Amino acid sequence: MWGKKQEQNRSERNISGCGSYQSPEVWAKVTGKAVYGIDLEFPGMLYGKILRSPHPHARIKGIDLSAARAIPGVRAVLSAQDVHCNPYGIVVDDEMPLAVDRVRYIGDEVAVVAAVDQKTAERAMAAIKVEYEPLPAVFNPVGALDEQAPQLHEDFPGNVAWERDLIRGDPDTAFREADLVVEDSFSMPSVHPAYLEPIACVAVSEYGNGVTLHTALQSPDLVRDIISRALNLSSSLVRVIGPVMGGGFGGRVFGNLKLYILSSLLSMHTGFPVKMQLTREEEFTVGRPMIAAEINLKMALRRDGTILARESEIITDNGAYSAQAPWVSKTFSERNDSVYRIPNIKTRARLAYTNKVPTAQYRAYGNQSANFACESLMDQAAKRLNMDPLELRLKNCTQAGDTTVHGLEIKSCALTKCLQRAASEIGWDQRKSGRGYGISSGIHANGSLVANKNFRGASARVTLELDGRVNVFTGEQDYGQGAHAAFACIAGRVLGLEPDQITVYSRDSLVTPFSQGALAMRQTTIGGRAVQVAAQELQKAIIQKASEISGEPVSLENGLLKNASGRLIELTEVATGYHHQTSGLNLVGEGKYVPPASDYDETSYGNISVAYSFAAHAAEVEIDKKTGAITVHRIVAVHDSGHIVNLLTSRGQVYGGVTQGLGMGCYEGYLFEGGRVANSSLADYRIPTALDVPAIDQVFIETEDPEGPFGSKGLGEIVMVPVLGAIGNAVADAAGVPVTALPLTAEKVYQAMSGGECSK
Amino acid sequence: MSYIIASDLNQALQILRDSKGQARVIAGATDLFLQTLPAELVDLAGLYETTQLEETGGLLSIGSAVTHASAARSLLIRSQAAALAEACAMIGSPQVRNIGTIGGNVANAAPAADAAVALVALGAKAVITDIAGQTRVEAVEELYAGYNRSTIDSSSEIIGRLLFKSCAAGEGSAFMRFAPRRALALPLVNAAARVRVSGRRIEAVRLVAAPVKPAPTRLFETEALLQEVIPGPEIWPKVEEAAAAEVEVRGSMLRCSEQYRRHLVGTLAGRVLKEAYQRACAAEGGET
Repeated sequence: MWGKKQEQNRSERNISGCGSYQSPEVWAKVTGKAVYGIDLEFPGMLYGKILRSPHPHARIKGIDLSAARAIPGVRAVLSAQDVHCNPYGIVVDDEMPLAVDRVRYIGDEVAVVAAVDQKTAERAMAAIKVEYEPLPAVFNPVGALDEQAPQLHEDFPGNVAWERDLIRGDPDTAFREADLVVEDSFSMPSVHPAYLEPIACVAVSEYGNGVTLHTALQSPDLVRDIISRALNLSSSLVRVIGPVMGGGFGGRVFGNLKLYILSSLLSMHTGFPVKMQLTREEEFTVGRPMIAAEINLKMALRRDGTILARESEIITDNGAYSAQAPWVSKTFSERNDSVYRIPNIKTRARLAYTNKVPTAQYRAYGNQSANFACESLMDQAAKRLNMDPLELRLKNCTQAGDTTVHGLEIKSCALTKCLQRAASEIGWDQRKSGRGYGISSGIHANGSLVANKNFRGASARVTLELDGRVNVFTGEQDYGQGAHAAFACIAGRVLGLEPDQITVYSRDSLVTPFSQGALAMRQTTIGGRAVQVAAQELQKAIIQKASEISGEPVSLENGLLKNASGRLIELTEVATGYHHQTSGLNLVGEGKYVPPASDYDETSYGNISVAYSFAAHAAEVEIDKKTGAITVHRIVAVHDSGHIVNLLTSRGQVYGGVTQGLGMGCYEGYLFEGGRVANSSLADYRIPTALDVPAIDQVFIETEDPEGPFGSKGLGEIVMVPVLGAIGNAVADAAGVPVTALPLTAEKVYQAMSGGECSK
Repeated sequence: MSYIIASDLNQALQILRDSKGQARVIAGATDLFLQTLPAELVDLAGLYETTQLEETGGLLSIGSAVTHASAARSLLIRSQAAALAEACAMIGSPQVRNIGTIGGNVANAAPAADAAVALVALGAKAVITDIAGQTRVEAVEELYAGYNRSTIDSSSEIIGRLLFKSCAAGEGSAFMRFAPRRALALPLVNAAARVRVSGRRIEAVRLVAAPVKPAPTRLFETEALLQEVIPGPEIWPKVEEAAAAEVEVRGSMLRCSEQYRRHLVGTLAGRVLKEAYQRACAAEGGET
């Protein structure tokens, strides 16, 4: 637990003193000096623009590019006929760079233009003639699963993009024998991460084949592989270099693949660098927001509050192409099952293709939106059992040593303490009348085997430079979450150096080690552990080299090299000695972290991650009974992310994640008119402003996890998980009736209160 | 494109005359810059005549280029026209309030412009001068030609200032808005009221709500309920009901349903009237 006093103890304890370290990049950002994708300029650079489908579903009968090609200043105009590409995708290969004969949503890419400036590119776009034959379209995922519905993809009959029927244990018996069964339906709209910098990239074709793509990505190496597959290029000939990222929040794990592939094609076609960037409107209409979901949830309990079983029927909305929607649907459908001891599970989940914007993910991968539903049902059960919602949770919550219903092996877990602390901080026992209170629990995995069973870990390279400074090379990306600062703290702690003596470099796929990147909350736990191991390797190399130089045993403590006779040896002396001896090499530590072997079966039962972070959030809200308007007064966020590597950035993570959870909870959500996104601007898609953010109290309960560096676990996504449940339950408490559709707008609360069975 | 910063009102009118309909007046332009810009712009934001704020003989005169931020912090407006100060404090964001002007808020003719709603409740009139040198004075609510369309032709007419009687003893005003977030959001409903009392009896009342029609809309029937009344607790639910019943409103997917907006009109009407009434009573020196 971190109060002021503990913070002081911590800095005494940490030899590196990196309790609160801010990396230099942050100053570049706040002073406006950071260079983002949108700022990039190259000599001879062309501008690319995409012609998009105005129809939600149509056959392309003909495309005439001749008028566009004749415009002076236009360097290339391409349609599907002009390019030779492979189908690509993240989970399934259901996309082509340009629509071949059919468009499946408003915004589908039909043709692409490169010209000397934006205006000329726009004129060329306007000159392209496309003849469409509109087809019947389907927008509602439930309707899309109907037998009569228009079919979107030949390979996916019935518009089923992904489905899952799962039974663990014996749920039917559990429901039969239960003292209480609670049931409710919930819905969550699609949401966009709304990072500040719209996605931008510059593709530069290289002589002798290959392309260098300048764009900020959370997982540049995974994107490089997809691009090379789509373009039939050898993967080492595709290089991804990242400028500073203007926010990602999961939306830039894969970013906008279409944009990267099309700019690469244009650059290879013209021989010039080609810049493409999405407008804010395109971010909303053709970006990759997180799936919308509808869930019917049932829970069986004994009279004493013991949870016996949970059953869910889920339909998620895929949009026209799959992107990450199957994986997100899977996390949505199961992760919350592991936060409590639930022995029996029945899940039926279906992901439906619709003629709408394709979908992916947002920080916490669907775990956060499902938390809203699961935790609401917990409160509904507590009410029916006449039990304190906190007690019900404490009775059932997962403990260290558990193997959960889906096979997750919980090696460290302070959820009980998190719940108790969240309750005491919010004043659970002295709840004020006229206010509503809610509490919620969350779990989130640190890394996941699901993407690639055979690639579970990470590697890093740490070098001693001639000036005695240390460089860390990693494929793990910093996009504002503080990964670089964390790695500097970790390497510094191993080597006894201050974090500002360490430079972390992560942004060039040609130079930095391959990595899965900033996804699944794996950076600090998995990437950080690799940095720790690499730093230890460098430490060994330094000691060995120093011993050779001084001819006697040497120790390295607190950054000071000392030989047996007590003489201090400068790091620069060792670095230079080795450098001269080898005609230019640096001392290097290469480290890998390969997590303990684990697997999962065909039902996905197994320990899919190296570690699991836990959290409990509590919220205090007030509702204007006449209008339904919600004021969130306070959110307490208590986290078990193991040992906290860097307190300053950890606090920032909690603050940001809770704020985004508040956005999802009370403000945000896609609105569609037919297949058109109705709120495609930040004026109409409303994220919270600074004035809307309540007091956010942050508490860390430190556990020692056996896997992460110095016992630490991930924090970046779990911060957004329990906040939705906490706000939802606080609103239900204040309104006297649960509101089951996100976002919780004043109008919905008002309607629930006026139509609800009970009012307080 | 030419951008001229006029040095006084006469010069601004001369430029408009010379440009023969090509130039357009701007003052703040926080709305105009979102649209396609005309070829010539004449900026009034820095003129002495349009930035004055004064009270003479019980009449408040507010220059059309007074920014929302300066109106919101003006002691004169806060004490003599609280509804306007409250409205100006809630417009857009600090950046918008630092640049956007009261005259611009009126001339832009958005149906639920906060400052305009307060001005109509206060009974404000605009002093408009045209390029022929003619000056007319018109009630703010008369300046709307349709949704987002003003009767003022900004290529040949300039709002110089806005005039209304300051709230004297026994008078009070109030403004409220209901929006989906605390900044940078159009209101689902906004409302303003001005009330005059004598011995706690309501002698005069103006109640305005928006968006109801293209212009901020007086709710006459609801006002009538309160005329010559000493309001007790039983009156407010009736007031809310009357206000909700009196308006025709529209629902929209991006904002809210027609039914909810109607409910909000009633609730906000009741709240602004009550607040304005209490302020009027306090200004009379009595307890509320």
